[in-house]
Amino acid sequence: MTGLGGLLALPAWRGTAVLAGEPGGVSLRTVVLLDAPDQLGASGAREALVVLAGPSWRSAPAWQLDALLRRAADAGARAVLLAGTDPLPGPTRLLCTRLELCVLGGEAALLDLATAAAVHLAAPEVASARAVLDVSRAVADGRVSGPGPLVALCARLLGAPVALADASGSVLHGDLALVVPRPAEPVVQRDRTAAGAVTARPVLLPGLRSVQRWLVARVPADSGPVAVGAAEDLLCAASTAVAGWLAAERTAVERDARGRAALLTDVLRLTGEPSPELRQRAAAAGWPLAGWHVGVRVRTGGATDVAGLRAEALRRSAEAGLQLVLAEHGDGWSGWWSTDRSPSAVEVRHLAERFRRLHEGLRQLTGCATGVGRPHQGPAGVARTLSEAADAALLAAGRPEQGRFLHVDQLGVAQTLLAWTRTETFEPAARSLLEPLLADPSLVQTLGVYLDAESSLSETATTLGIHRNTVAQRVARIERLLEVSLGDHEQRLALQLACRAVGPGGPGGPGGSGGRT
Amino acid sequence: MPDTIDDDDGWAVRAVSAADAPALVRGADVLGSGGGGDARPAGLLFAHAVGAGAVQLLDPDGATDHAVSFVGMVGAASAFTEELPGGGEFARALRAVERWTGARATALASLEAAGLNGLTALATAVSCALPVVDVDLCGRALPRLEQFSLAVVDGALPPLALALPGGHVLVVEGGDGPRCERVVRAVLAAEGGWAAMATAPVRRADWARVGPVRTTRRCLELGARLEALGASVSNDDVTAALGARLLGAGRVVEVARRAGAGFGRGSACVRDQRTSALLRLEMENEYLVAFEDGAPVATTPDLLVVLERRTARVVACDRIRRGDDVVVLQLPAAAFWGHPEHAAQVAPRAFGLDVDPVLALQPAGSPW
Repeated sequence: MTGLGGLLALPAWRGTAVLAGEPGGVSLRTVVLLDAPDQLGASGAREALVVLAGPSWRSAPAWQLDALLRRAADAGARAVLLAGTDPLPGPTRLLCTRLELCVLGGEAALLDLATAAAVHLAAPEVASARAVLDVSRAVADGRVSGPGPLVALCARLLGAPVALADASGSVLHGDLALVVPRPAEPVVQRDRTAAGAVTARPVLLPGLRSVQRWLVARVPADSGPVAVGAAEDLLCAASTAVAGWLAAERTAVERDARGRAALLTDVLRLTGEPSPELRQRAAAAGWPLAGWHVGVRVRTGGATDVAGLRAEALRRSAEAGLQLVLAEHGDGWSGWWSTDRSPSAVEVRHLAERFRRLHEGLRQLTGCATGVGRPHQGPAGVARTLSEAADAALLAAGRPEQGRFLHVDQLGVAQTLLAWTRTETFEPAARSLLEPLLADPSLVQTLGVYLDAESSLSETATTLGIHRNTVAQRVARIERLLEVSLGDHEQRLALQLACRAVGPGGPGGPGGSGGRT
Repeated sequence: MPDTIDDDDGWAVRAVSAADAPALVRGADVLGSGGGGDARPAGLLFAHAVGAGAVQLLDPDGATDHAVSFVGMVGAASAFTEELPGGGEFARALRAVERWTGARATALASLEAAGLNGLTALATAVSCALPVVDVDLCGRALPRLEQFSLAVVDGALPPLALALPGGHVLVVEGGDGPRCERVVRAVLAAEGGWAAMATAPVRRADWARVGPVRTTRRCLELGARLEALGASVSNDDVTAALGARLLGAGRVVEVARRAGAGFGRGSACVRDQRTSALLRLEMENEYLVAFEDGAPVATTPDLLVVLERRTARVVACDRIRRGDDVVVLQLPAAAFWGHPEHAAQVAPRAFGLDVDPVLALQPAGSPW
């Protein structure tokens, strides 16, 4: 009870009369003692009881009291206390009704009344501060060592249900009936329900944008706005403790991820038999090196919390029907599936389906691109299939039309190579290589046909329907412009690829066919 | 006779006749800002004196070579109304100050061209056969001698002669504005309550720098517009006719009066019919400050005018009663008071009201 009604019921306030306005429903936050009207700032008295402690306002001209009441109301005051219980002039009473300001006259010393009011108004805040302190002490002293007991302590201190939920809002500890109003918005939330006011606070870790956990409490409907504020304060204190535990867990996760990344690097370097030491480390990590392996590479981009999502990735692969070894990279995961015998073509196709399902699951989460390698045998096979998967994943990133999922089996080697020339990184390089020729499209065309025709002038002339001498002239001009010799086989190779990328059929060119596999 | 100035708006030299009296009275009441005394008796006085003739009203710009004596009534307007002048008081005061200073006045002007003094100079001009220069010392009604523009500009007043209704004549010379004010008040309290006053003839090259100008013309124009409105007019019509700002309109819910150190004080509260806002008018002899819901919205030296809603007649401070149905307007003060070096004497603090001035802007090119 922190309304004006509560103050009027105080024993110290006996004899205080309402001189103007309606005391019912007036809520108060603080008490402001006023000697002179200029002390009131623009909002210095929000939800305050202003006590006119200065010279007697009773003997001042009516306009001065009016002006003061107006300033108090403008500053946010809800009530004014002045000395004496004599009635106010009629217009001043009208003004108070208009300003929604309640004026009280006190018989007792104003300072005593103000003190009693201040103590009364501060009581709920003191109680709330005590609860916050209890939580902090319990955590600091180690009496509460985990989220479960913390939630129980908060519930006991608040006398209301409290819960800890994960990022999606499903309850991990505490009252299962509590719901996070809008789990997608990482801000403190308030929601009014029939059962009471629900308040939810996100637990965040520095450096990670996503919400880690939610702390939720429901304050019964009849306990008022102050109780909601107290609950929010308490959840705030509890959230720092939860964040601390999460950070500790996180450190362990990162340490494991680093260990796996180091082991993966060593496995990928394998060309022959692994050393006994590597074998031991792989066995300790539960990584099968013997048998046949099919690798997968998931590229997510650097912003994804790869270590934090590992458990989720494993869960989704289990859902897709895959038992995978999974290791973290800076921008995603590498994983492989192992079997004792050489998988048949049908099995590989089924497997690819499952990998695609895994990819679909992860893609909703991270927007990733995924590549799958071919089956290879033995410890060195792990490295080979993962390397194929990595190439496929790189290509997949440029293929939205295939859902950014590629299986190396679908690609001939020549196609893989050609596909490389269609990537976003190769095309600008090709363009800069052919830059001197781009002003004249016929030169690029001639160069492409000439190289395809194994450097035969007459065949080029036939293909293009021009004279042989024209071709010879153009080739000479091309060599001059590019400052290369077309007799050099390496230059020839580079230029031929570049012509594929830039010429007709290449990206940006007419009739570009990014969809070829 | 000075050369007539070639001015086609008709105000360079304006003949004011008995026919102008009704408009003059209404305009002078408006510029009284609730004080200055009821102009009607003075209107009768002027109409009776001028008969079928006319008084020349000279525009100040063309009257700079005139020696102007400012005349008017000082003291309680109610006493003036009760003990009406014999008719010769103003001329007697003028002759006395002329004799004292040895200078002849070639024209008259009003001490304050508002309230009943809006017409006393014109009435006197008839009996003295002098023209009237349209310049005055207040531009509205003001209660104290130290607030006269001559005192504000020069720091002192010229010699003054007072002709009391009992027949005595008094000359006051020397001393600053407040001293003169104290002496004159003491005499009035002791003898009759009012006196006709005339200043020594004053000659100035630029009347606009000495006093508010064309206040009588303002009275005539505002009065004529009010007369033209006729009876039963709307608030908006009156507001537009006067070029005013509407502060509120409704019933007077309370009038409180109290005795002060000098003049009596009081406040009238009007509850706006449309918005229910509470408009408090703090008054001395004039309405000084208007507070809307406790916040000042208009202050002296602007004119706060209270009109009876039905008739658009001015309700003076001493007449306002609980239950009156009124319109409250704000009119901009004469441009003279807009200068910062002139404003202090007429700002709310000069009347003991600790409020910053809240003024309306005089429209550009305004003649007053």
